[in-house]
Amino acid sequence: MLWYIGKRLLQSVVTLFIILTIVFSLLRLMPEEGYLGAAADKMSPAQQEIYLTNLGLRDPLLVQLGNFYSKLLQGDLGKSVTYRTDVPVVTIIADKIMYSLAFGLGAVVLSLILGVPLGILMAQMKGRWLDRLGTGYIVIVVAVPAAVYYLVIQMYITEIFHLPMLFDVYKPITWILPLASMALAPTASYAMWMRRYMVDELNKDYIKLARAKGMKERTLMFKHVLRNAFIPMAQYLPATILFTITGSIYIESLYSIPGMGGLLVDAIQRQDNTIVQGLVLVFSSLGIIGLILGDIAMALVDPRIKLGKGESVR
Amino acid sequence: MMKRYWWLFVCLVALLCAACSDDSSSEKKSEYRVVYSGEIKTLNYLKTSETNEFAVAANLVDGLIEYDKYGVVQPGLAKEWSSNDDATVWTFKLREDAKWITHDGKEYSNVVAQDFVDGLHYVLDAKNESSTAWIATVVKNGEAFYNGELTDFKQVGIKATDEHTVEYTLETPTPYFLSMLNYVCFFPVNGKFIEEKGDSFGTTRENFLYNGSYILDKFEPQNERVLVKNELYWDKDNVLIDRIRYKYNKEAATVAPELFLRGEIDFASIPTSIIDEWFKDDKKKSQVRQTQNNFYTYFYALNFNPQFDAEYEPDNWKVVVNNKDFRKSLFHALDRVSAMLTLEPYNPKDLLSNTITPKNFVDVDGLDYTQLAPLADIANQDSFKKEQALAYKEKAMTALEGKATFPVKVLMPYNAGSPDWANRSQVVEQQIEKLLGTDYIDIIVEAGPSTGFLSEVRRPGKFALLEANWGPDYADPSTYTDPFTVDGTYNKPELAEGYTEANGKSNYQNLVDEAKSAIDTAKRYELFAKAEAFLIDEAFVIPYSVGGSGYVASKLNPFEAQYSPFGVTAEKFKGQQLLDKPMSNDEFKEALAKWEQERANALAKAAQ
Repeated sequence: MLWYIGKRLLQSVVTLFIILTIVFSLLRLMPEEGYLGAAADKMSPAQQEIYLTNLGLRDPLLVQLGNFYSKLLQGDLGKSVTYRTDVPVVTIIADKIMYSLAFGLGAVVLSLILGVPLGILMAQMKGRWLDRLGTGYIVIVVAVPAAVYYLVIQMYITEIFHLPMLFDVYKPITWILPLASMALAPTASYAMWMRRYMVDELNKDYIKLARAKGMKERTLMFKHVLRNAFIPMAQYLPATILFTITGSIYIESLYSIPGMGGLLVDAIQRQDNTIVQGLVLVFSSLGIIGLILGDIAMALVDPRIKLGKGESVR
Repeated sequence: MMKRYWWLFVCLVALLCAACSDDSSSEKKSEYRVVYSGEIKTLNYLKTSETNEFAVAANLVDGLIEYDKYGVVQPGLAKEWSSNDDATVWTFKLREDAKWITHDGKEYSNVVAQDFVDGLHYVLDAKNESSTAWIATVVKNGEAFYNGELTDFKQVGIKATDEHTVEYTLETPTPYFLSMLNYVCFFPVNGKFIEEKGDSFGTTRENFLYNGSYILDKFEPQNERVLVKNELYWDKDNVLIDRIRYKYNKEAATVAPELFLRGEIDFASIPTSIIDEWFKDDKKKSQVRQTQNNFYTYFYALNFNPQFDAEYEPDNWKVVVNNKDFRKSLFHALDRVSAMLTLEPYNPKDLLSNTITPKNFVDVDGLDYTQLAPLADIANQDSFKKEQALAYKEKAMTALEGKATFPVKVLMPYNAGSPDWANRSQVVEQQIEKLLGTDYIDIIVEAGPSTGFLSEVRRPGKFALLEANWGPDYADPSTYTDPFTVDGTYNKPELAEGYTEANGKSNYQNLVDEAKSAIDTAKRYELFAKAEAFLIDEAFVIPYSVGGSGYVASKLNPFEAQYSPFGVTAEKFKGQQLLDKPMSNDEFKEALAKWEQERANALAKAAQ
């Protein structure tokens, strides 16, 4: 297992290097107008040249890349230029990450607490009223675009219950709606998958045998069916949790939550190369770590899977 | 065990109630609340050139001068000033009661003359990447210091002659220098503080010193910023709003009207898409009004240096654009009202402008610049004249027969990021083609990139006809000549054939140079008016409109704010107070008429 993790981490470093180099080079192809902002029309060409030289944009690409990696090795992601001038990228990301984590993890926990039992109950009551009700909820949430029900919830529920429309970190009541909205889709998704895997498992021969042997229904459900049904979900859970850091663009926008959602888009629009590089590093690392943890989680849940030399679950 | 749970429950409920309740127990203070979507990138006013950052800086830091609500210069940190005869040396006496205050409201030091020297030094040091340095190069040797040709800052034209006197020496006579002081690049900074903070100056509310009417009580980018009244401010009696709360919302433009109706905020822009709904609803109608026009000028530029692709026939365009009759046919064919309907369906004429320099920009003894001869003739009539357009078309077709091919392809790009501009381009295309005929002209509307439009389209000359704009930088008509003089990156009128004079320069350039060399205001403005009239009469450009901020619902009275067409004082909250209810459009129009009258009187009085 350790050998496997070591090898995967080493591969990850190479992957990260390739991603960062490509992104870094592409960013240097952006129009220079973006760096000058409102002053673009007012500065003389000579002044523009001095300005861009001072930003380091006139150095050859390889020199710029070299500077970037040497700073990165010292743990310095650089300072923002056009997004929050002179503020270290690490500070900008750190300020925002806690909000996205709080909401993201909250939504994951809430959706697991609600979605998994709902899926189990739906599987147990397959074809009955609860199953139909749950399926109705899942179909609505999946079929209606999230942007629509997010807006409907914000507009009408705040009006009916006289709640503030915007988030305020010091007013707990303003946490409820964004959290509930964020949990709606994953709840439906967990319920749907849980129900599907449970129904699959319940139809298997070993369950019929266990029932025939007189095993208690509770033991059967929790010790055998649930554990087996949970394996496919365990694989994606680490990545899901890690990716809560990236934030929900729409929910954060609607409720004014100062999280990570939209930061990448903003930084690209403002041509803040250092932030874009920092975010690409963070997001790619999360993606890679999520996949590795997913493999490990599966191996832990399912004793049949062993991770050794040259092996992978994928 | 049960008891413990009960206590926990009671505590939780109490906590929730406390958190949910407003802090109504505290003394009732006036608070102005807005939502915004464009975050400021820095508090460092010496670096930025963005309007929303000026807006914050203007309330936190004062400069040498201010304006009153009619646009007359008033003392700010300078209590009095004087200049020499040719307006190259300006001396300012500072007030002695202005203080630098820290973020927690404690006195840091007095504001002294050296602070202005330190501020300018920072701006002109190229490594600080100030994007307003180009304005500061008006000061003697400023450009040389910025370019690195000069390293001793003492040779730059600013000095503190004593603790409360600062003296500027300028590169050339600059009678409008006072108005330039309304820019952040001339603002003071405490040298010791900025040196101590280095690059982190202006990155947080703590790394900043305040001498203005407000202090930042909270500065959390992408969340909230709160300005509170500076209790140690030298003019605190005129600060009438105690607290200004800016709440970030990425969708501010969409949610603000609803938040305003619910009473959660005090200002909202009402976009064109919902303005109908607001005007049809009695309750909403009484809360929405127009805004004052701003001083951005919009015009259609005819390109004398066409560099677009061969398929759009740049050589043919070059032939026709050098024919005055052709230019005049376009000039009189553009129906600006129908173009403006795409942006302002209710009062389209309010935004139209017949000149490049907008009305109310500067005046000679109370007489508006646009009313000076020969510009007044142009300013007072609509350029859209069907018969004249058709007559010029006939003349142009005769004159160009055998020299140019018809229909002339007219490449007219627009920025794909602006839906209004896209609509307007379609309207203009259809309207002009219908009037002049497709045998004469073929306007080709093409989407340009939404990012880097100017560097991809306008500056390299990849257009035949283009809607363009320009904002003023100081109170002098010369600011509106920059796009059309030699260094301009607009339509290069200096390349027009048949307009070069004996000294190798174009007629327009010579007219502008002559005007720039005049120091007497009346003479100077008269010469600029002559140059501008020439530019328009020759149809090098077609004046179109001034900028407007559309419709708003607001609890502020716009006529209480400091008034200036450029710079930052117009962003100050000082002097303004909250209305009990928002102004309706009728009330706005009435107040505007009254204000215009009062302003004319104030300007005439100031000129005496």
